[in-house]
Amino acid sequence: MYLLEVKNLRKVYTTRFGGAQVEALRSVSFAVEKGEYAAIMGESGAGKTTLLNILAALDRPTSGEVILNGKRLSGLKEEELAAFRRTNLGFVFQDFNLLETFSLKDNILLPLVLAGESYVEMERRLVPLARKLGISKILAKFPYEVSGGEQQRAAIARALITYPQLVLADEPTGALDSKTSEELLRLFGEINAAGQTILMVTHSVKAASHAQRVLFIKDGEIFHQLYRGSLSAAEMYERIADTLTLLAAGGEANA
Amino acid sequence: MPKRFYPKLAVSSIRRHFQVYGPYLGACTVMVSMFYLIMFLAANSGLSGMFGASTLKLLFTFGTVVVGLFAVIFLFYTNSFLIRRRKKELGLFNVLGLEKRHIARILVWETLLTAAFSLAVGLGGGILLSKILLLVLLRILDFPVVIGFEVPEAAVLTTLKLFGTLFLVLLAYGVRQVGRANPRELLQAEAVGEREPKARWFLALLGLASLGAGYFLALAIDHPLDALVYFFVAVLLVIAGTYLLFTTGSIALLKLLRRSKRFYYRSKPFLAVSGMLYRMKQNGVGLANICILSTMVLVTLSTTVSLYVGLEDVLRTRYPRQIVLRLDSYDSEVMAPVQSAVAATLERHGLEAVDRVEYRFLSFPVFRVGDTFSTDRELLSGFAGSMASLQLTPLEDYNRLVAEPVSLEENEVLVFYNRQPYEHATVQLLDRTFVVKGTLTSLPGNGLSTTEAFGAYYLVVRDLGVMEELAQHPALPWRGALPTYTLGFDLNTSREGAVAFYHDLARALPRQEAAPVWVESRDEARGEFHVLYGGLFFLGAFLGTLFVMGTVLIIYYKQITEGFEDRRRYLILRQVGMSSLEVRSSIKSQVLSVFFLPLAAAGVHVAFAFPMITKLLVVLNLSNRSLFALCTALTFAAFALLYTLVYRATTRVYYRLAAA
Repeated sequence: MYLLEVKNLRKVYTTRFGGAQVEALRSVSFAVEKGEYAAIMGESGAGKTTLLNILAALDRPTSGEVILNGKRLSGLKEEELAAFRRTNLGFVFQDFNLLETFSLKDNILLPLVLAGESYVEMERRLVPLARKLGISKILAKFPYEVSGGEQQRAAIARALITYPQLVLADEPTGALDSKTSEELLRLFGEINAAGQTILMVTHSVKAASHAQRVLFIKDGEIFHQLYRGSLSAAEMYERIADTLTLLAAGGEANA
Repeated sequence: MPKRFYPKLAVSSIRRHFQVYGPYLGACTVMVSMFYLIMFLAANSGLSGMFGASTLKLLFTFGTVVVGLFAVIFLFYTNSFLIRRRKKELGLFNVLGLEKRHIARILVWETLLTAAFSLAVGLGGGILLSKILLLVLLRILDFPVVIGFEVPEAAVLTTLKLFGTLFLVLLAYGVRQVGRANPRELLQAEAVGEREPKARWFLALLGLASLGAGYFLALAIDHPLDALVYFFVAVLLVIAGTYLLFTTGSIALLKLLRRSKRFYYRSKPFLAVSGMLYRMKQNGVGLANICILSTMVLVTLSTTVSLYVGLEDVLRTRYPRQIVLRLDSYDSEVMAPVQSAVAATLERHGLEAVDRVEYRFLSFPVFRVGDTFSTDRELLSGFAGSMASLQLTPLEDYNRLVAEPVSLEENEVLVFYNRQPYEHATVQLLDRTFVVKGTLTSLPGNGLSTTEAFGAYYLVVRDLGVMEELAQHPALPWRGALPTYTLGFDLNTSREGAVAFYHDLARALPRQEAAPVWVESRDEARGEFHVLYGGLFFLGAFLGTLFVMGTVLIIYYKQITEGFEDRRRYLILRQVGMSSLEVRSSIKSQVLSVFFLPLAAAGVHVAFAFPMITKLLVVLNLSNRSLFALCTALTFAAFALLYTLVYRATTRVYYRLAAA
């Protein structure tokens, strides 16, 4: 059974005054298995962010289904969705989206506080996680006091602390320099190796090359996918780059 | 560059930022109008011919100063808000290739447009409204309507001068702000990383102490004259305390709350405490401003309304009878011509003296310790509150005023103290010891001879002989004891008849070398009091309106700023698993508490000020406590209602920004 199934997702935006309709997603279908590390690639405007918002249950599709762990998101009410997001999904964003009004520790604990966990339980989860992510010493600091890489680690800790079914990452290396990006991608690899399912949206070839599978999205449809199999990261990088060239040239999907 | 480039840019940027620029324009315009109006009233020639015009002129001149000061402070405040919000755009212009001096030119044009608009519309509106306002004033004062329309040149010129200068200074300030920053800073001005506010315990405690001291003063002051002196001290202490507590005290308290892990790490406190921490950091001063302004509005309105509504009470306290006459002697030879002049005037007018009160007394200042009354001047000059006046009245006169006559021995007295019941069994006075035969619950003759502002002891002694003996005592102060004969009565005629009688009587009274004589008429004084208290009431309402508008605008800007800033928080909270309903209710409760904190604090301020103001009003002859309580309660209710309406209207704007 798949952890995440996406079937015939379609999303149409109507401009405010009713005029033009924009089709952000035409028909997207794919599935992610438990423990998988998948990346979705595409140029800006291809519909990546729309897809992610729908997967995150922050936006509803015009038609089609998202099924997570056998549960249809479309069947959930707004309040149930919030609780669902809290327990099943973890988010990592390009610009970290930490709240400046909280210390890193409080940012990380936020989902647990909202879920009504006891403080003892929070501590029990936080300590090993912070050690693993190498942020134990800066937990008391505020987002503006630490580097981008450290902020992103805190954001990852916030995503992981609820033991989510699925981590959604939106361009997680977009705001980081190459060295920090490299470290972060290695971290994602480790987290995945420990059994965490990850779905990353990116247009960085480098980032995508760390995933086990890369899905290409173009004009609101899944255009192509690549499996890493036994390829090294460098080989995978090459394959992705080739595919992107092909995409840009407007070629047909056949590989 | 094309000739009209800068004005166009200025117009378009005002338009684009109308959400923040509009209220600023409105504030400028209203300030100009209000200032012109108060100037108009001060300079108006229609009033100058009227009774009590000089009092009014003084009041309105005072009003002019208050309005002018308020306008300056207030426009600076709103303008600084505007500049903060505009910095990003100006930075962008800078990056796109406009030099600083070009940006300065845009600012010059913007200021010119703002000034032209607000001066033209403000003055125009002020001139149009001036007639209505004058009619309202005349109505309040019961004055005849003035025909004609007037635009005092001085009022227009002063308004132009004041606001012209103010706009120039604001422009200079804006240009300086922009000139000092580099484009990167300008671009980031709004996004500057918010530092976690530090808890400054010392200042927080100082604020608490200051507020406590102010409250203590307000409660502890017993005597009206002390209230007069210490009122301003108390006000300053409370203002300082309010600022310190809103800015540092709130933060210290929130930090304290955060220390308790079991309290803090729960959904509601978690979001509320951290959210409030930043809100208070950004809005502490603004909230303190709102609180002080609200308190000012409440105090000004409730006192002036009380005085105006309680005018008859005031007159009755100040003039217990329609005609009150005082003679500085109770020599029967000096009294006789006065009494016959009164009788003759009554007869001439065909009137009768009703509720006649008449008695003789001897008075001198005393200093009391326990049951001992001393005249030691060293002690007397010390503390105003302990000084009291002592009045001795013969039993004969007292018995004439009461239904059941009493009798006294040579060493017996009846005592009345106008502050609280006299608690001792004896009175030690100038080497003599009197036994208190009874304490009175009311004043003989309703206190014809004194106001309630002073503490006063009334001693009824057996006869004039006792008084004479005390009057000869060498320990009396340099002017000795003052003998007085006082007579008061009502008249069975109209107010106009009473005034006519009064003027006649004043002429008919004999001028005697031995002792001066005074006569006062409640009905004659009514006009004077009416002008004074009516003018105060009018000014109170005028300034109240001004302060309310100030409050509203500060609230509006506060909401806008927060709306912009909370947008991001909204989004993040939803992503980590709050439903938009939960986010909304969490933010709503924070906005609500931030919003109503100043009103609640203002309510507490007013409650503590109440006893002190009651005593101040006693100095102004208003001793009707329940009237003042009612006026205060009504003013507060009306203000709270208005405040809530403003909250609702501005919250809508806030949600539009935050939830966008």
